[in-house]
This record gives sequence, structure tokens and C-alpha cells, in this order.
Amino acid sequence: MDDELSALPPDTELRKFTSRIRTTSLGVHVRQAYHSPASPQSSTTGRRGESPLRRLSSPSPIPHHLTHEIHAPTPQRHLLESNASQHWLRTPPHSPTSSRAASPVSAIHTHRLIRHMSFSSLHEETRPRPRVHDKEKEKEREREGETMGRRWIRWMNRRGLKRWVVPGAILTSTLVKACISLGSYSGKGTPPMFGDYEAQRHWMELTVHLPLRQWYTYDLEYWGLDYPPLTAYISWICGKIGSWIDPAWFALDTSRGIETEGSKVFMRTTVVVCDALVYVPALLMFARTWQGTRSKRTQSLVLLTLLFQPALLLVDFGHFQYNSVMLGLTLLALNFFATGHDLVGAACFVLSLGFKQMSLYYAPAIGSYLLAKCIYLGPSQGGILFLRLALVTLTTLLLLFLPFLPPFAPLPAILDPISRIFPFARGLFEDKVANFWCASNVIVKWKNWASHGVLIKLSAGLTALGFLPSVGGMLHAGYKLRLPEKLEKPEKSDVVGGPAHTHTPFLPLLPYALLSSSMAFFLFSFQVHEKTILLPLLPITLLLSGANVDSSVYKWGVLVNNTAVFSMWPLLKRDGLGVQYIATLLLWNRLIGYNPFRLPNKSFIQLLSTAVYTAALSLHVLEFIFAPPSRYPDIYPVLNVLISTPVFVLTWLWSIKCGIEVGGGLGSGGGVAGERRPPSVSEHSVTADGAATGSFRQMGGRAVSLGVAQSYKRRATFGGSSRASSVVGAGDAE
Amino acid sequence: MENIGDETVAHTLLRRASSSSFKQQPPAPEPIEESPKLRSWFNWDVETSEWDILILSTCLKLLLYPSYRSTDFEVHRNWLAITYTLPISKWYYDTTSEWTLDYPPFFAYFEKLLSIPAALIDPKIVDLTNLKYDGWSVVAYQRTTVILTELVLGAAVLRFIRGSADPSTQRIISASLFLHPGFLIVDHIHFQYNGFMFGILLWSILMARNGNKLASGILFAVLLNFKHIYMYLAPAYFIYLLRSFCISPSGQVEIKNFLSLANAVIAVFVVSLGPFLLMGQIPQLLSRLFPFTRGLNHAYWAPNAWALVTAIDRVLLRYAKRTGADLPINPSGVASTSRGLVGDTVFAVLPNIKPIHTFIITIVFQSIWLIKLWRTPTYKSFLTALTLCGYTSFLFGWHVHEKAVLLVLVPLSLLAAERQAYFRTFILASIAGVFSLFPLLFTPAESVVKVLYSALWILFVYVPLSRRVYEFPKSLPYVILDGLEKIYLAGFPFLLAFISIFPAIVERQRVGQASICPPSLEFSCAEPNNTLPAEGSRLAMLEFLPLMLTSVYCAVGLVWGFLRLMFIYLHEETTYQGQLSSLG
Repeated sequence: MDDELSALPPDTELRKFTSRIRTTSLGVHVRQAYHSPASPQSSTTGRRGESPLRRLSSPSPIPHHLTHEIHAPTPQRHLLESNASQHWLRTPPHSPTSSRAASPVSAIHTHRLIRHMSFSSLHEETRPRPRVHDKEKEKEREREGETMGRRWIRWMNRRGLKRWVVPGAILTSTLVKACISLGSYSGKGTPPMFGDYEAQRHWMELTVHLPLRQWYTYDLEYWGLDYPPLTAYISWICGKIGSWIDPAWFALDTSRGIETEGSKVFMRTTVVVCDALVYVPALLMFARTWQGTRSKRTQSLVLLTLLFQPALLLVDFGHFQYNSVMLGLTLLALNFFATGHDLVGAACFVLSLGFKQMSLYYAPAIGSYLLAKCIYLGPSQGGILFLRLALVTLTTLLLLFLPFLPPFAPLPAILDPISRIFPFARGLFEDKVANFWCASNVIVKWKNWASHGVLIKLSAGLTALGFLPSVGGMLHAGYKLRLPEKLEKPEKSDVVGGPAHTHTPFLPLLPYALLSSSMAFFLFSFQVHEKTILLPLLPITLLLSGANVDSSVYKWGVLVNNTAVFSMWPLLKRDGLGVQYIATLLLWNRLIGYNPFRLPNKSFIQLLSTAVYTAALSLHVLEFIFAPPSRYPDIYPVLNVLISTPVFVLTWLWSIKCGIEVGGGLGSGGGVAGERRPPSVSEHSVTADGAATGSFRQMGGRAVSLGVAQSYKRRATFGGSSRASSVVGAGDAE
Repeated sequence: MENIGDETVAHTLLRRASSSSFKQQPPAPEPIEESPKLRSWFNWDVETSEWDILILSTCLKLLLYPSYRSTDFEVHRNWLAITYTLPISKWYYDTTSEWTLDYPPFFAYFEKLLSIPAALIDPKIVDLTNLKYDGWSVVAYQRTTVILTELVLGAAVLRFIRGSADPSTQRIISASLFLHPGFLIVDHIHFQYNGFMFGILLWSILMARNGNKLASGILFAVLLNFKHIYMYLAPAYFIYLLRSFCISPSGQVEIKNFLSLANAVIAVFVVSLGPFLLMGQIPQLLSRLFPFTRGLNHAYWAPNAWALVTAIDRVLLRYAKRTGADLPINPSGVASTSRGLVGDTVFAVLPNIKPIHTFIITIVFQSIWLIKLWRTPTYKSFLTALTLCGYTSFLFGWHVHEKAVLLVLVPLSLLAAERQAYFRTFILASIAGVFSLFPLLFTPAESVVKVLYSALWILFVYVPLSRRVYEFPKSLPYVILDGLEKIYLAGFPFLLAFISIFPAIVERQRVGQASICPPSLEFSCAEPNNTLPAEGSRLAMLEFLPLMLTSVYCAVGLVWGFLRLMFIYLHEETTYQGQLSSLG
């Protein structure tokens, strides 16, 4: 759609012109040519307060003829842009922003660029910059615009569909969900036990017809309820509505394995509706809070990236589960932490736990964050917060389990749900899961090597070891950054606000902590399903959604996402979701502008990605052509596990590493981060630094949005690549 | 005189292409024979945003693999089997399945081509006796062929963008065609190959735009031999090519052009029908292609003029019965109403319609456009006349199928961005036309998909294009019309709500077996004398009511769109020359 401009009226011609100034304004040549003595403070006010063009139009200290320097052939311009009408051009445009990629600087703009650069921070000026050739720059810009999502959002903005971007994205994702729902599901047409679909349907049948006391005890052999009460309550609501429409769908016992057209559509609809009620609003809120100061377009892109995450789409709308409710509640908790409403957040997280015990995987991270916040606030305020949190958490938990507690039921009744929710009696792992136990089982036959009890203890120990670094890092950050007593007192006197009611400076650690703790659980705990990979996927997709295409967060995020979907392939194949597997993967990768078959550069993550994709693809090809040998009927799932597990282990290690780096950056202020970040996105040590950049940008973004001005944040934000600053600028102008 | 200028521009711009094709007599009738075209065929200058659309739509279509399939799926599978297993002499005689081959020979050849890989993938697909085979292999294979052959459409609309006067707007129109909900509903869910065949039609129109009229004619002849429904459009092609290609602007007959065109078209038909001609099977073939034994309306009334007439008849009958008005009532027509949707339509009050009537009305209307086209044989005029020809046939034809509305919507889309008047017609006809396709998919899961998709499509087409062409209403009548049209369009959500909820209510009542007559159903309760058949007819009537309402409501919009387009073509065309008339 880039050539559209040629057809637009002169007004847009002007816009193109100004956007060219903007995007090249932080260009390398100019920066090297001219050193400005301006302070960082003035840079920020200048850049955000004023429209760039107005600034540009103010008289330049450098005469025209001195600065004219031809970098590229001057593009043919509109008649109005000829020298005769230069004064006309300097009028402020209607919309000075555009995320369009620009062509190389032409002579006519150069003097303005320098004027513009005088507002730049000293910090940025003095830093040595690698010489980037125009061609490379061009390529980089191209890559920036390479996201299908971004192109779409740009088109929508230009075509007067601006306010339809978010509804359009949500509707389109709903359409995709509805289309996936047309397909097969877990256990379709496989009596007598069927699959997850039948389990969920059976719980609706169960809760509608039986008194509450029997929910956790009725015919446990046939898909007995083994999720916490919130699932049961929601099942009850769905079952009530369904029974009202057609009682046959949920008739007790007789409806087992029912697969009528109507009941299937109803079940599918409940998933889409639950998703739309919990997960989609949570995503919207995430884009508004965590990405608060990013431009509206970036926020929309974040939303798109998250809405079309293939793993969740496949499991919830293909395989059939309600994971989005659990994930949505957890995400709501994160959002409330970001806005400083810790108590609401804690309640949301308890609800998430009450929906599916799996979100316990997040508990170490969230618990340590809240604890760290208590430490950060100091003894008195922190103590109060701690007590409040404890109270809210316990109350929510009690409310959830209230029907199973003494006034309503005898005391032993509570044991029914508890023993169902935590089934210690089952084995170490089921099926083929891409976690540590299953992968290492190829070499070490754990079941022969140790008894059940020992293995459970071992797995618990390893899991704890797995999440300890992130927990420790979080608590350490809280302690290191704790508010001095002096500062605590006056803030307290404020009626509103105060540190207890805003987010903490170590909030950026939270996604990494969530990632490493949930990944540790996935890798080392017992009774893990392949679908559980959705839990580690949430934090890393959140991280990647706002990250730059060139950052390592992005690359890790996409790799993990794709590998996760790949690791679920045996499950999806069994469910008959092969086409959906291809379609959602293709769509999402295209949407976020990821090309898995791009030639690798020397960075570790690129090489790893290439290796993993090659292995995965060859495995698919092999599986398609050759049937598994009769001696090893499970050869393909096992190979799948062996390909996926290393990626997950590495991601876990990477998340710990990023956590430590971000934590370190927090402790020693912005200087460290600024120094450590590469001047531009370069190849060396991109893993570590890119991660830091991403998180700092997020943090900076929030800092502005929430009005918390802390120097290291600002420096981190505006010291970022030129792209980042222009994005922030664009956001402000919008 | 602008027309002539237009033509000259076209000729100068594409002198190379046209002169080469003028001179050479194509050895074979295949469309892709011209060398300049061939080069541009392989030189894919597809932009990133266009890849985006392709990938997005392909992903969506992949997800639709497991969706509902109509009997057309089995029809096409059976044709694969016929063409694969039987010799060509038996293709049009086979009656193993009830779904006999009733498309022209090119489509049979096309199926033969498709059947070869099909046999390699799964021999059961092409087993003639393996009726109603619906294994995963055949579903995946046939659905894939639809997606792949639709790329012809994609390539055609891409070429429309290149060399368009306003590429950015044309891109929206092209994308809207490629992503048309009609194709999604009819091809990718219901199952047919319309995308492929409309692709050929659009290639042909593109050739006309680019001034390569010989290629345009050949392509249309090819298309006719794929599916004969495109005969609806043939008069416009005939007049346009005759006037602008075979006769020079000054009125002299270009005998060379005429001969080359005639020979090429004959060659196409020889390739198609030749084998059957030699075998003496032409009568059998024709009897398969034109079964004149059907009724005026299809099972579900297509939203055309006859739907309105039938509805008026039904209302008059009720009126006559309730008030006892002195109207001559045809008893077989009464029986026809009570049967609801089954069989052919016989009017109870109004005089009956015979095929010859529909034929005459169609011819009369079409001749109006054709005279106009003869006088102004420009590309734009041709496009409008083409649309109107399709429109006339759809509205007044005998036994028109609702899917034929695509014949109107596709060429009309190309006119959408001309200016406000065309755009409004396009939006009205598109919304009514797409909505009228909804009953094709009656399963609830697919219904969600079709509604969501169509709504998104309308949103993404309407807003950008309406901004592009907006004109302030000129006078009071325009304001009033504008308001009425808006009210009409606003009725669609309500209609949708009604037709989604109504069957559920009927179902509940049937389950409840309410003996008392609910007040809303007084229509049928007025005849208590014959209880059992009345009960059956009442239920049939109730089941048919949503369909009838859809049909009538959409017919109103489509007829109104027809009047609009007619008015624009006959009155305003001469005073206004829009985008398309200036090439390049």
C-alpha cells in the first residue's frame, strides 16, 4: 500500500514530506556532523512538547548553502514543493506523524535536521555510533514496516477506519476463532471416554443436575470434576443456559458423549463468549496500561499480536478448553499491579487459581512481586499492604470455597475438591510432554530408577530450584530499591497516590519472573500436560508483543511460541486439527512479520531458531512420508519432545538471565543500562542487551504514562533507538 | 468524443500488445497465448500488502475445510469420478449418480485434469460407485483445488490494480473482489468453483480495459464453455466487440478484426464441443445443459422480481380469503402456496408466468442497454451494460438460482468507486445480494462465520470507498432517497435477528405442541376446516417464512439497485465521465 501516496491529494504529499523529516531526523550522518550542547531535559520537552515541523520551521542557525549535502538523488517532487513554495510547506501539517518508512534524506531537508538535532540529548550525541550505510538503513526501515499487522493498522488509519482498528481486530479474531471452532475437537467420535470436550460438557451436566456436595464425588471414573470451584460455577451457568435452550444437551447420564449439531455449537459458543468476556478485555487493558505511552498504533499491534496467538487459539477453540479464562484473570491481575491496584490484582489472581489450579505456576512470581512491594514500601506501609493483601487473598479464597465449608457443609466436605484438584496419586508425566522428565526418560528410565514418592520429592525440589532465581531476584530488587524512610512519610500524607498506590520500579521484572517460574513448573513439576505450555507462553508473548522486530525478546518470543505449537503437534494431530495448525501458525507469523526461514546471522538465537525450524520441518516431512517403524511406534512424538525441550530449557535459562540483567539495571540506575545497550541494534550480545532495551522501553513508557519521572527511565526511553523515540513522539502527537 | 479519445489512449498505451494480437491468428484458443501477457504472468510484481491479503484469505479458507458442504461437493466429486473412469463418449450419458454432468465440456476437461492428481492421492475419490464419499482426503483435495484455482481471480484483480487510474482505490476494489463474501460462502463453504470462473471473466474484462479486445472475446468464449450461465452476459459482449472491435469509430467494418475474432471464437467452441460433435452427442449435451423442466422460482426464491410477484400473489390470496373479495382464484395456485417451498410456483390470483414471458421481458430490457452500448462503446459503458445484462437476467430470468447474484455483484464492484451514485448502488446491491446468499448456509456454526465475515467485509469496503467518492446530496429528492436507503439498510440487522430467532421459537412451540393458536400465527389459523394438512402446511409455512422474508426483503433492495443503475446508465452517463474513462 505504499504507493498509495502517489494517488493522494497534495495534502498527503506534504505529510509524506514531513514524515520523511521525522523518521530521518535522528539519522546517523547528522548526528555525527553536529554536536549539540543541549541537555537531556530540554531534549525531552522539545521533542514531546512541540510539533516537529514547527520546530523545523524556526530559523536555522546554519545557512542553507553550507548544509546542503546530497545523500541520494532528489526524488521527484510535487509541483507545490518546488523552491517557489517553500514558505507554504512550512505550515504545520494536519497530522505530522506517520510511521511510514522514508526514503533517504535528500538535500533539501538537511539543514532542518540539524536544527532538530540540537534538541537531542548530549547523552545520545556523545555516544559513538557505528556507521550505518544508507542501504542498510533502508533495509532496516523496510524490516520495520514489514509487519502485516502494522501495515493493516496504517491502512486503517489512512482510510478513515481509525476508530475501527480495535473493534475490527477483535471481530476478525472472533471470526478466526469461529472458523477454528468449525473443526474437530478433543475426543470427537471416540467412545467410550471421548476427550476434553466431553469432560467440560460433562461438568455442565453434573453441576446442573446434582447438589453441590456431589460435584466432586459423582462417578469419578467418568471425567469427575477435578478443577477448582470457579470452573464448576461457570460450568453451572453454562449448563443452565444450555438446558434452557435444549434440555437434552445436558440430561444427566443420558447425554454422555452427545454430539448433536446444536450442542456442539453451544459448547463452542461458550468458549468464545468466555474468552470475549475475560481474556479480550484483559488484553485491551494490557495494551492500555503496560504499553500506555506507546503510540495508539503500537498498542493496536500489541493487541493484534496477542489476539492471534496460535497456541491459545488452537487449544481453546480447536482442542476445546477454557484456558483463556484462567490466563485472562491472571493478565487482569498483572494489569492491576501495573496500575497500582494490588488488592484487586491479588483478588483476580486468586480467581484465576480458583478457575484452574494450573495458574499456581505463576504463584511464585506473583507472590514474590507482592512481597517485594511490601519490602519496597518499608516496614510500616509495607506491613499494612501485606496485611491487606493477606486479607483479600484469604477472603477471595474462602468465598470461592464457601459452599464446601462448615456453615453450608460439614468440614470433611472441603477435602473432596482439594483431593480432586491436587492428584498426587498420578504418575510423573502422562503422554509425551516436552519437559525435562519426559525428555530425559529416553536415557534414564525414571520409573525404574526411583520410587514414586522419591520422584515427587525430586520434581518438587527441582521445580523450586527452577523458580528460586526469579523469586530471589524480585525480592532482592524490592529490598535494594526500598524507599528511604524520609520519603515514605511525606508521601503518606498525600490523600491520593503515594507509592503504595502506584506500581513499583521493579514491575518490569514481573514478566520475566512469571516466565521463569511457569517454565520451571512446566519443565520440572509432575503431571504436566503438553497444553500447559500455554502458561509460560503468556508472559513471553506479552513481552514480545511490544518488542521491536529486531530485539532478542521478539526473536525468543516467536521461537518459543512456534516451538510450543509444534510441541503440541501430536495432540493436535490426534484431535484432527492439522489444517488449523498450519493456518494459525502461518497467519500469526505473517501478522507479526516473522519469517522463520530468514537467513541466520551470527546471533545465538537466530542460529537456534534456524536449527529448530529445520528440525521441526524435517520431522513433519518424515512423519508425512513414512509411517513410524513398528518397533518404535512413538518415534515421532519422542523426537518432537527432543526438539522442543531444549528450546524450553533455554528459554527458562534466558528468562533467568534477563531477570538478573533487568534487576541489575534497576539497581544501579540508568547509567548501566545506557552503557550496556548497543548503540544501534547490532549483532553482538544482542540477546542480553535487546532484552534490557525492551523492558526498559516498556518501563519508560509506563513511567511517562503514569507520571512517575525517574531519570534512569527517561534516559532509557529516549536513549533508545531512533525508532523508539519516533514511536513515542507519534503517540504524543496522536 | 471523449470515448474516441479514450480509445486512442488505450491503443497508444498498449500498441504493442494489441498490434501483435491483431496480426497474429492465435493457433489455439487458450487465453494465455499472447506473448506480452505471458511475460507479465510470470513477472509477479506482487506487493507485500497484496501478499498479506492472499495469506490472510488462504488461512481463513484453510480453516473452513471442515465446514458444512452442500450436495454440490458430491456433485463435483462425482464428476471427478466420471471424467476419470469413463471414456469421453460416456461423460454426458452416465447416470450412476443422480448428479449427472451438466456443465459444458471445458468444465468436464477441467475436472478430468483435476481427477488425475486426485487418483494419485486417494483412488477412492475417483471411484464412480463410491457415492457420497466424504473422507478427509477428498475434502482436503477438493477444497484445495478451489483455493488454488481461485488464484486466477487473484491474478486478474491484481492486474486490474496495475495500470489503473487510481491504484489505491482499485486495490480496495480488487481486494474486495478477492475476499468477496459471496465467494467465501458459495465456494469455500457451500462448494463450487465460482472464484475460478469469475477469474476468467475478470481477465476478459481486464483485456477489454487494456484495449485487447480479441483476447477479451476469446476469454469470454472460453468462459462460456466452462459454465453456460455466463450466457446472461453474452449480449453485452457481442455488441461491444462488434461495435468497437469489428467496426471502426467512423462506421467502417474492420473485416480483418471481425474475421480474427470470429475464427478465434469458433476455434474455442470447436475445441470444446468438437469431440461431442464428432460423436453426434450434441443433442444429449444440450439436454443436460438446459433442462427446461423446472419452475419459475428455485426452491428458495432467488431475490428477484418474481420473488416479489409471488409474494404479492400470496398476499392477495390471503386478502381474498379473509375479506372474500371477488378475485378469480386458481385452485392449483392455492395448493402451491400451502406446499411452501416445494416444487414449481403456480400463482393463485395473478396470471401465471411462462418461460416465454420471462424471456421477452429480459430481451426487452437488455435491448435498451445494448442500444445505448452501441452508441457509446467505451469501456465504462461496456462494464455498466455488462452489469445491467447480468442484472436483468437475474431479476427476470426463469428459474434463477440465488447464487447467480454474483453475476451482478462482481462486475458492479468494478464500478463501485466511479462516484457516489455507482457506489450507493454497489453497496445496496452487495448488502442485499450477500444477505440473500445467507440461506445457502443454514447450519448454526457456519451462520456465525458468514455473518461475521460479511459484516467485516462491508466495514472494510464501505468506509474507505465512501470517503473516496462522497458527494453531497444535490436536492431534496436525493436527501429523501438517501434516507430511505439508509432505513432499508438498517433493516438488515433486524431481519437477521428475526430469521435467527424465529426458527428457535417455532421449534419450542412445536415441542410444546400448543393446541391453541398463538396470535402471531393467525394467518394459518384462519383455515380450521382441514386440520391435519393445515397443521403440516402451517409448519411448512412457518419454516418457509424466514426464507420468504429474506428473499422479499433482498429482492426489494436488488430491484431498487437495478432501477438506480438503469437510471445512471441511461441519464447521467453522457454528462459524466469518471475515473475509468481515462486510462493510465
